[in-house]
Amino acid sequence: MENADREERGLGRATAPNDFHLYPMDLYDSEDRLQIFPEENARMRREVVPTEMTKEPRTAAKARTQRDLQEEVDEFAHLFGFEDDHELGDEFFGENPLRTEISEYPPYVMKRREPVREQKDWRFGEQANETEDLSFGGWGSADQCQDLREAYRYTRGRSSEEYECYVIPEEEDEEEAPSIFCVTCKTPVRACEALDEHKEHEVTPLDKALESAKDEIHKNMFKLEKQIIEMENFANHLEEVFITVEENFGRQEQNFESHYNEILETLAQKYEEKRHALGEKKKEKLEALYGQLVSCGENLETCKELMETIEEMCHEEKVDFMKDAVVMADRLGKFLKTKTDVELSAHPDFEDQNLDFSEVEQLMDSINTIPVPSAPVINPQAPNSATGSSVRVCWSLYSDDTVENYQLSYRPVQDGCPPEDQAEFTVTVKETYCSVTNLVPNTQYEFWVTAQNRAGTSPASECAVYMTAPSPPIIKVKEIRSCEEAALICWESGNLNPVDSYTVELTQAETPEASGVTESVVGIPTCESLVQLQPRQNYTIYVRALNMGGSSARSQPVTVRTTGCYFHLNKDTCHPWLTISEDGFTVVRSERKTPAREPLPSNTQFTRCVAVRGNLIPVRGRHYWEVDVDERLDYTVGVAFEDVPKQEDLGTNCHSWCMRHTFASSRHKYEFLHNKTTPDIRVTVSPRRIGVLLDYENSKLSFFNVHISQHLYTFSCQFHQFVHPCFALGNPGSLKIHNGISIPKHVAFY
Amino acid sequence: MALKQLSSNKCFGGLQKVFEHDSVELNCKMKFAIYLPPKAETGKCPTLYWLSGLTCTEQNFISKSGYHQAASEHGLVVVAPDTSPRGCNIKGEDESWDFGTGAGFYVDATEDPWKTNYRMYSYTTQKLPQLINANFPVDSQSMSIFGHSMGGHGALICALKNPGKYKSVSAFAPICNPVLCPWGKKAFSGYLGSDQSKWKAYDATHLVKSYPGSQLDILIDQGKDDQFLSDGQLLPDNLIAACTEKKIPVVFRLQEGYDHSYYFIATFIADHIRHHAKYLNV
Repeated sequence: MENADREERGLGRATAPNDFHLYPMDLYDSEDRLQIFPEENARMRREVVPTEMTKEPRTAAKARTQRDLQEEVDEFAHLFGFEDDHELGDEFFGENPLRTEISEYPPYVMKRREPVREQKDWRFGEQANETEDLSFGGWGSADQCQDLREAYRYTRGRSSEEYECYVIPEEEDEEEAPSIFCVTCKTPVRACEALDEHKEHEVTPLDKALESAKDEIHKNMFKLEKQIIEMENFANHLEEVFITVEENFGRQEQNFESHYNEILETLAQKYEEKRHALGEKKKEKLEALYGQLVSCGENLETCKELMETIEEMCHEEKVDFMKDAVVMADRLGKFLKTKTDVELSAHPDFEDQNLDFSEVEQLMDSINTIPVPSAPVINPQAPNSATGSSVRVCWSLYSDDTVENYQLSYRPVQDGCPPEDQAEFTVTVKETYCSVTNLVPNTQYEFWVTAQNRAGTSPASECAVYMTAPSPPIIKVKEIRSCEEAALICWESGNLNPVDSYTVELTQAETPEASGVTESVVGIPTCESLVQLQPRQNYTIYVRALNMGGSSARSQPVTVRTTGCYFHLNKDTCHPWLTISEDGFTVVRSERKTPAREPLPSNTQFTRCVAVRGNLIPVRGRHYWEVDVDERLDYTVGVAFEDVPKQEDLGTNCHSWCMRHTFASSRHKYEFLHNKTTPDIRVTVSPRRIGVLLDYENSKLSFFNVHISQHLYTFSCQFHQFVHPCFALGNPGSLKIHNGISIPKHVAFY
Repeated sequence: MALKQLSSNKCFGGLQKVFEHDSVELNCKMKFAIYLPPKAETGKCPTLYWLSGLTCTEQNFISKSGYHQAASEHGLVVVAPDTSPRGCNIKGEDESWDFGTGAGFYVDATEDPWKTNYRMYSYTTQKLPQLINANFPVDSQSMSIFGHSMGGHGALICALKNPGKYKSVSAFAPICNPVLCPWGKKAFSGYLGSDQSKWKAYDATHLVKSYPGSQLDILIDQGKDDQFLSDGQLLPDNLIAACTEKKIPVVFRLQEGYDHSYYFIATFIADHIRHHAKYLNV
C-alpha cells in the first residue's frame, strides 16, 4: 500500500505542472499581466517595421542602421530570454526545464523575432540588388549564420542572438560611421548623407539619439524587472498552492484508504460471521436429522421383529397361540401406544436470514463525507478576559477537522455542591471562542465544548474552569481617613466568595477628566489600603476587585481632599452618654438625666470618662484638627493610644495626653494632663476653638487657641504607637470637631 | 552717635557683638550687645529686644542665657542694652543693688538728680531702636521685646504703653505690679517721686487695665521656687487677673522647681524666642 501511495503521489506531482498553467491565471487574474509580453512584442514590432519601410528605397548604408537597431532589439530580446530561460523556467519547472522551454516559451520568442527576421531577409535581398558594388564578405557568413541561428533557436531558444553579435562587428569597420540621427526617418545617417537626403529632416547627433534610445531601453528594463519580481512572487505562491494541494489530496487519500480498509474489514468480518453461523446451522440440522433417522430405523426394526413374532405365532398350536397371543397383544398394544415421531425435526430450507449491511452502508456513506471532528481542546482562561457577568471562552481544534459549529456547555461550580446538580447551559457557535454573558460575578464555571459537522459530534473536550470577574467593591465612605500625605481607604468586598486582590485607582481631580488614571495601587490583599498622596489636592478614588478571571468594574468613586486631616469618630468607643451627630463631627452630652447605671468595663468603649475616640489615619506625619468648645463647658481634648484604659479618665495614665478645661466658681482651669500630671499654666483668654497639632516627626503634641493664634502648651512625648484623637465632656454640652483644615502658619513654629 | 565695636564673636553662624556709643538721651556712654544671625548677612531681620534684670549689664544675657541657637535658627537680631546709665557720678547711684546703677527700671526719671540720665524708657523704646535701625540690617517695622525680672517689667510696660509697636512680648519672672512691691516702690519713689498716680504709668498690671486691646500675645514663665515670687516682689497673679478681666491673652506658665536665675531663663529661652519668631516672622 505504501508503495502504491508513493506512486500516486509521484504521479500527482508529475501531472501538477500541467494544471498550473490554468490555475494561476484564474487565481491571480493575471492574464492581463501576462499579456504584457505580447504587447511589448507588438510595440517593438511597430518600432522596427517603420524603420524598415523608410529604409526601402535606401542604400546598403541603412543596413548598418538596421544592424544597430537590431543589436538593440536583440539585446532587448536577450533580456526577455534571460528571464524566460532561467527565472521562470527554473522556478516553475525545475524538474524538466527543457520540456517547458521548448514547448511553452519558444512560441513567444519566435513571434517576437519574426519581424526582425523578415527585415533581415528583406535586407539581404535588397543588398543583393542595389548595392552590389559594396562587398559584404561578411554577409555570406551572416546568411549562413542566419540559418544556423534559426536552427539553433529551435533548440536553445533565443540565446542565438549571442551568435549574431559575433557576426555584426565584422562589417562595422568597413563603413564611415554615421554620426547623425535623422529623427524624421528615425535612422542614423552619415554626415554627408545628412546634407542631401535628410536635408529637410530633423536631425540630432547620433550620440544623443543613442542616449535617448538607451533611456527608453532602460525604462523597459525597469518594467521588466518589476515584471520579474511579480512573476517570482507569483511563482512562490504557486509553489505553496502546489504543496497545499499535494497535502490535501494526500490526506484525503489516506482518509479514503482507511475508510475502504475499514469497510473491507467489516465486510470480511461479516462474511466470516455469516459463514460460521451457516455452518453451525447446517451441522445442527444434520445432526437432528441423523438422530431422527436412527430412531426411525430402530422403530422399524422393532416393527419388523413384532411382525415376525406375530407371523410365527400364527403358525403355532391353538393353545400356544392363544397363550402367546395374549402376551403379544399386550406387547403390541404397548408398542403401538408409543408414538412414532414422523415429524421432521429439521426443515431442509433456510430460515429467512437477513444480511445486515446497514453498518457497511453507513461506512460507505461516510467515505464520501468528512470525518467526525475530534474533541476540541479547550483553553485555560486568559487573565483579565472576564467581566463581572461574562467570560470569553476559547478553544481550538485539530487542523484537519471540518467543523460546522461548536456546542459550548457550562455550569457553575460551587463548593460542597456536586456539579451534576447544577443547571447546565449550552450555546452553539461557529467560532472557536464565545463570550458567555449573564453570569454571576466572582463565580467559577465549568466549560466544555464539542465540535459538530455533518458526520456527527465530536467527543467533549476536557472541562475547563473559568471565573467571572468580581463585583465592584463598595468603598466605606464614612470610614475614609486622610491627612496631607496619605489616605486610608476601606471598602467592602462586594463579593461573597473571596477575591484575589484589589486595585485602588487615583485620579487627581485638578487634572481634566480625559487624562484618566494617574496612579494605581495593585495587589492589595485586604479591604483597605493606605495610599500616598500629594498635599492639598483633590483625588477621586476608585477600587476594583480582581480574581483570576479579571478585574471588576470600578467602584463608586469617592473624593479625598489632602488638605488637613480627616478622621471619623469610632462609635464603638463612644461612652453611652454621648451621642454623635448625623455628620459624625459633633459630640453631644445631653441635658436629660442619663440612666444612673454605669456601663460595664470594656476594652473598646469608654466606661468611666464620658469620651469618644476618633480613628486617625496611621501615618507618622503631622496632623492638625480643631474643636469648637464652650467656655463654660468642662471638656477634655487630646490623644490616646488605641489601648488606653477605658475605665480611666483621659490624662490619668501614660496612654493619653490631653488638655482639660474645668470651669468652677467662675474660674477657668486648664490642665495639660499626662499620667496624672500637669504643668501649672494659666490662660487669661478662654479659647473657643482649640487647635490640636499632633507631630509624630518631632514627637510633639501642641494645643492652640485658634482665634488668637495663641500657643497654649506643647507636650514632648514619644508616641511608640499610633495615637487617636479623643474627646470627653464633663458636663452636658457639645464639642464640634473640624477636619480638613490645613495647618496654620503660626502652628508651624511648634 | 558713633558706634564703637568692643567685641565680636562668631556664634551659631552669626556674630555676637558688643558696641559702645555716646547716648544723648542718657548723657553717658552706653554699651549694648547685638546678635546678628546668619540671615542678617543677606537680608533684613526682625529685632528682638532683651531687657535684663537688676544688677545686670549687657553681658549677663549674652553669656548665660544660651539664646543664640534659637535666634540663629529663627533669624532674629537680638539686642540687649545695659540696665541703666553708668558712670554718671550721681550721688547714691551705687549705694544699693536695687536702685541706681544696674536698676534703671526702664522709666524716664522725673526727679532730681536722676532725671538727666535715668531715661531708660525713652532710651529703650526710641533712641536705641533708632540707633539699631540706622546701623544694622534690621526690619524697623518688625520688633518684639522680652526681659527678665525688672527687664520683664520693662518689656511688659514698653509693649503695653506702645500698642502695635511690638509684635509680641514675653517675660521671665517679671515684676508684674511694681507699685505694690518693695522694689518697685523704692525705685518709683526715687525716680518718679511720691505721687503714686504717676507710678501707674509704669506698672504693667495698671497698664493692662487701660490697654486698648490691640492684639498682643503675652508669654510669661515663672519659676515656682523663685524666692522673689514668695517675697511678693513679682506679683504675677495681679497681672493675670487684670489680663483675664481685660481678655488680654496671656499664657502664664508656673514652672515647677525653677528659681529666678539664668538657669531658669536658659531652660525656657527657646520657647520665648519661638514665641517671638512666630509673630516676627509672619
